[in-house]
Amino acid sequence: MKLKNRSKAAIVLSILKYTVLGVGAIIMILPFFDMFIGALRTPAERLARPPIYWPKTPQWSNYQRVFTELPMLRWYLNSIVVTCAITFIQLLTSSMAGFALAKYDFKGKKLLFNSVLAAQMFPFFLFLIPLFFLMRFWPLAGGNNLFGLGGTGFLGTYTALIFPFMISWYGIFLMRQFMVSIPTELMEAARIDGASEFRIYTHIVLPLIKPALATLGIFIFIYHWNEFIWTMTITRTANDLQTLPVGIFLLRGAFQTAQTESLQQAALAVSVVPLIILFLALQRFYIRGLATSGIKG
Amino acid sequence: MTTESLQSSPSRRRRRLQQKDWAPYVFLAPMLFFLVVFFVLPIGFALYLTFTRWNPLSTPKWVGLRNYTYLLTSDPTFYLTLKNTFVFAFGTVLIGIPIALVIAFVFTLSRGKAFWRSIYWLPMVTNVVAIAFIWQIILDGTYGLLNQLLAFFGITGPQWLSDPKSAMIAVILVAIWTGLGQNMLLFSAGLEGIDESYYEAARIDGANTARIFWNITLPLLRPTLLFVSITSFIAGMGSFTLILVLTEGGPIQSTNVTALYMYQMAFQDLRMGRASAMAFILFIIIFIITLIQLRIFRRGGVEAY
Repeated sequence: MKLKNRSKAAIVLSILKYTVLGVGAIIMILPFFDMFIGALRTPAERLARPPIYWPKTPQWSNYQRVFTELPMLRWYLNSIVVTCAITFIQLLTSSMAGFALAKYDFKGKKLLFNSVLAAQMFPFFLFLIPLFFLMRFWPLAGGNNLFGLGGTGFLGTYTALIFPFMISWYGIFLMRQFMVSIPTELMEAARIDGASEFRIYTHIVLPLIKPALATLGIFIFIYHWNEFIWTMTITRTANDLQTLPVGIFLLRGAFQTAQTESLQQAALAVSVVPLIILFLALQRFYIRGLATSGIKG
Repeated sequence: MTTESLQSSPSRRRRRLQQKDWAPYVFLAPMLFFLVVFFVLPIGFALYLTFTRWNPLSTPKWVGLRNYTYLLTSDPTFYLTLKNTFVFAFGTVLIGIPIALVIAFVFTLSRGKAFWRSIYWLPMVTNVVAIAFIWQIILDGTYGLLNQLLAFFGITGPQWLSDPKSAMIAVILVAIWTGLGQNMLLFSAGLEGIDESYYEAARIDGANTARIFWNITLPLLRPTLLFVSITSFIAGMGSFTLILVLTEGGPIQSTNVTALYMYQMAFQDLRMGRASAMAFILFIIIFIITLIQLRIFRRGGVEAY
């Protein structure tokens, strides 16, 4: 049966199949390739007409200059601090709230779960303006008085970058879905042994959902490492707090000349590569998460 | 959190029962705090702002519905951005979804899935600034890779991003490139959920691959197709960061979408009232589309959504 199917048509089909996939893959990779090649050109090659694509002698020093001429390490540090803090906090709050919504019966449970679902329908652009001023007028922060006036609030601090992302509605939802399947008998047994509810959370529930935590953690990390619009709004003028995407974005005025475009491309490469490596290393967690969260809705 | 009590065993048993009753509220405390302070309060404040004129240096001045009437009756740019928003959202879905579907179809039939998947997902882990700048350089009319490639085949490419006629197309193509991996994954998950017996029956009847795709795969994939199309349409309606970095809405507003116009009005023109009103109008439009989507989903067989 199988041998018969291996007709000429099947071979043609197989070629067609891999051609489609291959062409698509080239289109996906080519822009990154262009960035790596571009980062190695000299300004003269940049300006030459007709354009020179392949650099004659690759300017590896462009990658060095990115670190010496730009506050690249500062951006990295800010990105790491903010992203790690948000990831840790969101994992904690999501698993706690998800646990309560999955494994307890209490008044208002249905209402709260529905608000978690409904909150996901509110797009982020709706919150940009009010959250900005919430950070600005937060009482008793950054020189503000009790009514939020007189100072700068949380603007210019890491808090402004982390605080509005303490909770992820999606994360709560995902955690709740994973925890529903934890057998209630396990919790009952622990209760009979005298364990407190908090101990049940830390010693039974958290170990059981480690894989789900890993998946959600990678989601959060990648999303917030790449988060741009909020951080830009808050740190446009606070140089010390800029993260990688924001720092590189604000280079555009000074760097988008043919003279410095190669440096810009080198900076982009330096900002992109660590996450690609992380993603490739942890791919299996990422795939599982996307596959389970996407359709089940 | 001192949850382990040192009381004697009978009262301890009672205490545990009580603890079980209040424990969920403790676990939910951060969420409840956030729900009030970072969700209800901001939305309420933004709604209030829509009825005021406010430049953050002064205090908000109540103007009633004037922000709404201004936007809806005397701001042609608002309507232009609204049109662009729909063009952008429709464009990414109408062109992007069929491409993702075809790629997902051949992907599920191929070997080396991890390899292909890694490649198609690269943009998903790349930050939007890098994506936009990479493409800006590629789409440059004179020095960009794309026009150099086209020139190789004897075609003179347009000035992609700096020509109002082609800018929107270029922006849509970049958005499709960015989202392809995600859509492909959702489709391939849907495709793998189709029972093998349907295919076998079709093959026994002598159907070829194209027929199988058209008459079996597509109908069975309808729920996934609807889900992905409509959610990406809604996401497209509210997205603006890619456009912000790529073109800042230019040239001559040809790529400016409502969410970006709102952002510029708030943080460049400092008209917080008018910008908030715009955010709410856009939100209401998206909300209505979402409600329509829910109805279509129910009819289209997407359960539990």
